[in-house]
Amino acid sequence: MSEARIEGYARALFEIARAEGTLDEVEDELFRFARAYESSDALRNALTDEMVPVERRQGVVESLLGAQATATTVQLVSMVVGSGRGRDLPAIIDRLVARASQSKDLAVAEVRSAVALSDDQQARLRAALANATGHEVNLKVVIDPSVVGGLVATVGDTVIDGSVRTRVDQLKSRL
Amino acid sequence: MNLFAVIAAGEIDPARSIHWLWPAAAELIYGSLASILIFGLLYKFAGPAVRKAMADRTAKIQGELDASAEARSSAESEAADIRRAAGDIAAERQRLLAEADSQAEALLSEGRARLTAEIADLEARAEADQAAAASRVGDELRTEISRLAAEVSDRLLADTLDDPAQQALIESFIQKVGSSS
Repeated sequence: MSEARIEGYARALFEIARAEGTLDEVEDELFRFARAYESSDALRNALTDEMVPVERRQGVVESLLGAQATATTVQLVSMVVGSGRGRDLPAIIDRLVARASQSKDLAVAEVRSAVALSDDQQARLRAALANATGHEVNLKVVIDPSVVGGLVATVGDTVIDGSVRTRVDQLKSRL
Repeated sequence: MNLFAVIAAGEIDPARSIHWLWPAAAELIYGSLASILIFGLLYKFAGPAVRKAMADRTAKIQGELDASAEARSSAESEAADIRRAAGDIAAERQRLLAEADSQAEALLSEGRARLTAEIADLEARAEADQAAAASRVGDELRTEISRLAAEVSDRLLADTLDDPAQQALIESFIQKVGSSS
């Protein structure tokens, strides 16, 4: 899909969520859904297979998100999948998250961790990243077992890697 | 006394023959004169034509003789050419046979050399393949060992990294990031 089209979808989703007054929740849920979409081949195939009828793909979205996300989130994802743009969901959602963060003058900070972070940890991490980058950040935590331990934070083009995985890889390459 | 003297002497009747084989005298005279006249006329008028015909015939025969001689000479020349050519053919045959022998020898020698080179090349390639296979197997083995080692180390790490360790790592990260500016 072209950049302009991705940007168009992201803007539309952003405006709908803002109009509904659920922008924070929706962008958070969409961000989590995008990461799940990226990490699951089965989900990707189910939502992008042209041979599967659109209604059925939308049914998959509703059964997956229905109980765990707001109605707006479910409808937005269902709309994108229904228009045959399921393949571009992560790009559209990332653009939406960036737009939502910009609207609040925040930088998106994607943090990968092997285990979930407590609210306190997230608050302190948010403050630490703001201190390190000089920007207030919109913290997005992704549970990624491949990190093994520690955290990897990405703010814009800056990557702060404190993961056990990277240390092990460095050790392996040194060996 | 000859017959004419006898006739002139009137001793013989010119109208009668003196012998049954011999014509009468008058007939003999007139006949002789007529014959002479005829031969004279023949000589006078037919002679040139006859002489010309004879000369032509002679010339024709001479021409045929000359042509025959020329044909014979030509045939002899051709025979000589053929004999010479036959000699040349034999020499050419010998030359061609010698050349064919030489070429066959060269081909054989070249074939032997090529075969030897190919055998050497095949042996070298087989050795290289063998070495590559050994190296590949070694690489695969090393890769597999590395993979297994990584898997084991990941499992060990996962076992080692219990919740307190995870929390410690997270806290360490937050502290480290917070202290940098």
